[in-house]
Amino acid sequence: MTAMAIDPSAVDDEAVRRNRRTRLFAAMEAHDLDLLILGRPAEVAFATGARQLWTAGSRPFGPACVAVRATGHIHLLSVSDYDVPDEIGRDDLYGLWWNPANLARALAEIPGLATARRVGTSSSSPGFDRLVAAIAPDAQLVDGSRAVWEARQPKSMAEVERIVAAIAIAEAGLAAMEAALHPGATERELRAAHLTALAAAGAPTAPTEGVACATATTGPVTLRRIDVTTPIEAGQLVTLDPGAFHRGYEGGFARTRVAGAAPSTPQIDLAARSSVAIAAVIDACRPGARGADLVAAWQRTGEPLAPVPLATGVGLGTEPPIVDSTLGHDAVLAARTVLAISSWVSKEGVGGVLLRDLVLVDDDGPHVLTARHSHALERRG
Amino acid sequence: MTVNGREVPAVADLARMRAERHAKLQEQLVARGLDGLVLLGTSAVAYATGAEAPGCDSSRAALLRTVAIVVTGASHPHLFTPYPEGAPPELPADHVHPGAVPDLDDGAAQLAEHVRQLLGPTARIGIDEVPHPLARALTGLELKPASAVLGVAKLHKTVDELACIRQAQHITEQAMLEVQPLLRRPGITQTDLTACFVHHIVGLGAEYVGIDPIWQVMPRTKAAGPWTVHGDLAFPTPSGPQPLHEGDVIWVDTGVHIGGYASDFGRTWIVGPDPTPTPRQQRQFERWLAVFHASLAACRPGVSTLEVARAAIAADERADGANEAKPWIEHFYLAHSVGTDSAEMPMIGTDLGDDFDAAQVLAPGMVLVFEPVIWDDGAAGYRSEDIVAITDDGTMTLSDHPYDPFVAA
Repeated sequence: MTAMAIDPSAVDDEAVRRNRRTRLFAAMEAHDLDLLILGRPAEVAFATGARQLWTAGSRPFGPACVAVRATGHIHLLSVSDYDVPDEIGRDDLYGLWWNPANLARALAEIPGLATARRVGTSSSSPGFDRLVAAIAPDAQLVDGSRAVWEARQPKSMAEVERIVAAIAIAEAGLAAMEAALHPGATERELRAAHLTALAAAGAPTAPTEGVACATATTGPVTLRRIDVTTPIEAGQLVTLDPGAFHRGYEGGFARTRVAGAAPSTPQIDLAARSSVAIAAVIDACRPGARGADLVAAWQRTGEPLAPVPLATGVGLGTEPPIVDSTLGHDAVLAARTVLAISSWVSKEGVGGVLLRDLVLVDDDGPHVLTARHSHALERRG
Repeated sequence: MTVNGREVPAVADLARMRAERHAKLQEQLVARGLDGLVLLGTSAVAYATGAEAPGCDSSRAALLRTVAIVVTGASHPHLFTPYPEGAPPELPADHVHPGAVPDLDDGAAQLAEHVRQLLGPTARIGIDEVPHPLARALTGLELKPASAVLGVAKLHKTVDELACIRQAQHITEQAMLEVQPLLRRPGITQTDLTACFVHHIVGLGAEYVGIDPIWQVMPRTKAAGPWTVHGDLAFPTPSGPQPLHEGDVIWVDTGVHIGGYASDFGRTWIVGPDPTPTPRQQRQFERWLAVFHASLAACRPGVSTLEVARAAIAADERADGANEAKPWIEHFYLAHSVGTDSAEMPMIGTDLGDDFDAAQVLAPGMVLVFEPVIWDDGAAGYRSEDIVAITDDGTMTLSDHPYDPFVAA
């Protein structure tokens, strides 16, 4: 674990990569996919382990990597072999093209394409079917996203260790925000402190830059993710939601602090409600449970459903399920998935308390990966 | 200097910018006979709605998405967002919806219901990405690439868009003035530089960091660098906690966003207490300047981008007198534009080829980020990026940063 902590951006170990490849090809077999075309950076990371340049925001779907079941090869869009694992050979790399005809020519050279019958893609765009028809003329284009999620969602022990290592980096982000939090400070300064701490830990990219919110003490209370430069006032409840990546795996958690004052009784009551609610949801995180069971567990506490996802999957970034007031109710929790459970409880005149914990859904019940941080409100500044 | 008869303001009028972009999209929707747009990509939604969102990892941005629905003939777009506080103030409340999750079945069904209500059950729509669940949910609608509409609208910037790009570039340059002195301390790591950069850039008002900063140590020779598919340079490579050493030649590249618009900063730096370039390095820089200035001199409305590329090639006289090589990286370009995407059209010198470049004609409002590369095998090379906009009678610069430690003769 110590070695991991100092090397968060390295290409991951061979055993981890091999385990992920095995799961990917097994899912392709289960879904009868001859070929799987992946586009998202997290999918490329899962399939190949290659380190890629990090950019913010969703990327347009394109063939960033191609897994071929007949040959067992995974082909990668990469101009160079820098930080590309050894099992992806130089022959398995294809270059960056702006001209779609050149891209199609490069892809068509991949052995096993021409004879593929069923080609899965993780997403699609208008015209993508024509590209597939050009490179795999006899193939049927099908939904490959379920196969990808089935492969990705249940975590190996090593993957859980990486999530735990990312939580440790997020702890540095929390500490930096707590140190910067005082009356007169701004949410933007807290964001800067978080990003700076991640970079200083050698892991500069964040799951989101929306990490700090000073909640309103008068009028409606909302959880904002876009920060402002209004000075934080003494006594305000401030949500801190740090996150980080370790070798592509996300870790993080949310806690709430009081700026420059001891927590008041109404604030302590609000925090207790938030803590009771999240504990109830966490207790429902068991293999076979449905999203609806998590929602029901929340509702039994008497808290209104908040406009914040109650649960999201966590692994190589955000993953399904997404469970909120209307979505994800039929999603079945698989064993060894990791969920981020969020609890947002607010009250006009007091503010809001956000808690977020990461939970491993294990056969013997939920294991909270972020348990060493108390839910209790604490004063900072 | 004017762009389509208007001065570029010191500060962008964001409401006017959004209104003018909406009008351009509407014009293209009518021209293409489309009933509307459904946009899922972060940069496309930012363009169509002006909505702000926190910078997110691609995995989060592709599941907890912002989504735009633009209805042909309507005065405002519809925005689906997990971040309602980022909705533009003029957007009517009934046009701001909770976030959509079109990549999962139930979320796709919900969004498809909105699409049918707003655009009709058999509408002909432009769309940028179609996750499989959404494809199933949109059965009966005719799906066309949104790029035909977005591409034309985004090609020419309004004066407010130019002001946003200039502002994003300005703060990036301000932050980089704080970072560069750190290179005088060999042993500092790439991610230490990033820490300094993000600390300053957020304080200067960046909405988010678009590209994890690149501080690539360039090898002396191509052969000493990573293997590449085409034999040209490996660039860019991601940063990590690797220490930098005295004499290292660093190629810097990053971008941040303001008003939705990206900056694009590129410079070559040298590590060490005395970063003075060698005469050979200085010659690389002078070649780079010659290419950049020749490119710039060729830029004005009505000129094809092939003419600009040819001017760049002709200006690069190598030490051996030959000048037939393209002074840019094989898999990239001499220049690209920047907008809500960090690289967008027009691009000059790509594998789209000479015919493409010849057909692409410069016009007022186009933006070009020039990034020539001078490679001098044995002594690494020089790369910088500078941004210009095409005006009514020439160009105006949107970047303004010293080339330190290189100095123009």
